[in-house]
Amino acid sequence: MTSIMVVDDDQDLAEMLGIVLTGAGYEVDLVNRGDEVMPLFSTHTPDLVLLDVMLPGLNGVEVCKLIREVSMVPIVMLSAKGDKQDVVAGLEAGADDYMVKPFDPLELVARMKVRLRRSMNEVNTELFIGNLKIDQIEHSIIRDGQVIALTRLEFDLLVALAKEPGRVFSREALLSEVWGYRPATDTRLVNVHIQRLRSKIELNPEDPKIILTVRGVGYKAGVPGSSQ
Amino acid sequence: MKTPLKAWRSSLVFRVTGTIVALSIILIWLLGSALYSRVSSGIFDEKLKLSILDAQSTARNTQIQLSFSKYRDKAALTLVFDDILALPPKTYENTAKEIVVFAFPKLDKKFKFDGTSNLLNPKSIPETFREATRKATTTQWERTDLLYLDGRTEPAIVVGHDLTISGVGKYEFYVLFSLSQQEKTMSLIFNYLLLAGLALTLLIGLTTYFAMRRLIAPIQDAARVAEELTKGNLDLRMDFHGEDEIASLGYSFNEMAVSLQQQISRLENLSKLQQRFVSDVSHELRTPLTTIRMASQVIFATRDSFEPTIARSAELLISQIERFESLLTDLLEVSRFDAQAAVMEIEETDLVLLIKETIDYVHPSQDRMIILQAPNSPVMADIDPRRIKRIIRNLISNAIDHREDKNIEVRIVETENEVSIGVRDYGSGFNYTDRKMLFERFWRADSSRARSTGGTGLGLSIALEDAKLHQGEIDAWGERGKGANFVLTIPKFAGGSIESKPISAQL
Repeated sequence: MTSIMVVDDDQDLAEMLGIVLTGAGYEVDLVNRGDEVMPLFSTHTPDLVLLDVMLPGLNGVEVCKLIREVSMVPIVMLSAKGDKQDVVAGLEAGADDYMVKPFDPLELVARMKVRLRRSMNEVNTELFIGNLKIDQIEHSIIRDGQVIALTRLEFDLLVALAKEPGRVFSREALLSEVWGYRPATDTRLVNVHIQRLRSKIELNPEDPKIILTVRGVGYKAGVPGSSQ
Repeated sequence: MKTPLKAWRSSLVFRVTGTIVALSIILIWLLGSALYSRVSSGIFDEKLKLSILDAQSTARNTQIQLSFSKYRDKAALTLVFDDILALPPKTYENTAKEIVVFAFPKLDKKFKFDGTSNLLNPKSIPETFREATRKATTTQWERTDLLYLDGRTEPAIVVGHDLTISGVGKYEFYVLFSLSQQEKTMSLIFNYLLLAGLALTLLIGLTTYFAMRRLIAPIQDAARVAEELTKGNLDLRMDFHGEDEIASLGYSFNEMAVSLQQQISRLENLSKLQQRFVSDVSHELRTPLTTIRMASQVIFATRDSFEPTIARSAELLISQIERFESLLTDLLEVSRFDAQAAVMEIEETDLVLLIKETIDYVHPSQDRMIILQAPNSPVMADIDPRRIKRIIRNLISNAIDHREDKNIEVRIVETENEVSIGVRDYGSGFNYTDRKMLFERFWRADSSRARSTGGTGLGLSIALEDAKLHQGEIDAWGERGKGANFVLTIPKFAGGSIESKPISAQL
């Protein structure tokens, strides 16, 4: 059974999340304090973490960083503020997605499903983007024999771009392909993740060769095999 | 570099100094010329007096000298005259003294003698003066110039007399005194006066300039400080010393600045407090709202098992929670504008694409309810896509709400520096006189009208704020029963401003 860790200091909300997620068929662990996450994490690793930003003990952004040090598990931040700095701080700390309270529980579940889905149904098992080899079976990224560690979301983002090398993806298109939903407003999610991804895979993130920016439109994949 | 005219207009120091210098030049000139003319006439009079005395005594001596001789012919006379003309003594100032002798015109030919001393040109004595001398019985004088045959000239006084030789006749006898010494003295005095005048003018000018500068410096300081205060640099104060009027200006000015700063910081604190309060309230509201929403959704999902009234209640609950939520979101946005905490995220964006995406989002079905008129090429502009999208979405949603089953036209037109997006519907419209009020918060055309359309009442006001952040404008036109036309116009480049509107809202 898929297990979800819900970290929120509001006990009523946590309980309600528990009811909704249990109803959707997940096993739920409720955590109320930021500093209780890591001890529990080491004994029982969840498949996905729902993480509130404002937490007693240790705030959500710090918790997110700690989790990322040990795990690539999908993290969805729950933010009450929705202000840019909170959202961006969470994403930069390694969160895959965020939901601004009050969120639609159905949308939350839908997005969690996207994050939990493994990209298994791929036809083309080996993809190339720039000078990187993407092995979809092994779920790994290889540059010159070296494996680069990516979160699942970053992997999905890269695969989406690599699958259609000629296509220019608008941010909205990437949102629906990778995050599986269609918000009309918020493309910051894409920007931040592209930046994070570039910092991991580009030799020079200032002058990207693998993920190219198409001004005024969005992003596209660099030519396969080009070595910077 | 300022032009003098501009300096004159803009600088009090320049103007006052200029005026005072001009006045002192006139005054010094008048005084100087009066002084010069008095001195020069004094010197001349003295010289004239001496010259006349000298000439008279010379004439007397010559007359005596001539009286001792007998003249048979011209040769004997010439001998005596030559002797007289040979070496006229210098004056006591050691300047030239010349003698000229002419025979009277009616004199017997054999005694005719005209002569000058020292190569003097006889024309040095004007004909009119000679005539006057011949007619007169007393000593005559006049100003003239010593003209030498070698070209030298000197200013001079000529004193005329006549000589009578018994048995021979009358001769004109002129003594000329050079004025070169006096001339030199006068030019020296003139130079000194000029120098003194210039020095005095300069002194007056500089004194005025520095006095004015000193006087005006605190005023300039005040102007500068005031300017800085206007710019928001509230910590700046005026420097002042002593207890004079200027110091009292400085003191009052600084008092004003302090009070201003206190007021501003009080307001700033209030605004910060308000901002924090709104943010805290929203945070505190959001968490329970999330729980309520989830709970209502759980209830809603199982409504089929409820009695009809309870099931309907569940529906109402969920729709009102949604409305509450969008109201909360809009209120938060408004509070960000009020706190001036709205942050722009400028990005070069294709507006045509953005409009298409917005239309798809607002109205995903394929029927041709919304007709888009846009160029085939992209229309690029530096904008915050989230905000512009929100404006367009709001305008289109409003149009859909009021369209009354008629089509909606969305247009985009660009010029070199501006771009306009127009949303036109042919539905219920509004009173043209209300076109400004539409943008007011919670404004309703008809207060008794049921709030059926479900908007928060903040949409247009937020749209206008978003447009203003882009240095843009939203114009509205409408008429009851004929529809409405809303036009957003923004500059295409960040930091630009609107100079013309590609689409006019007015129909």
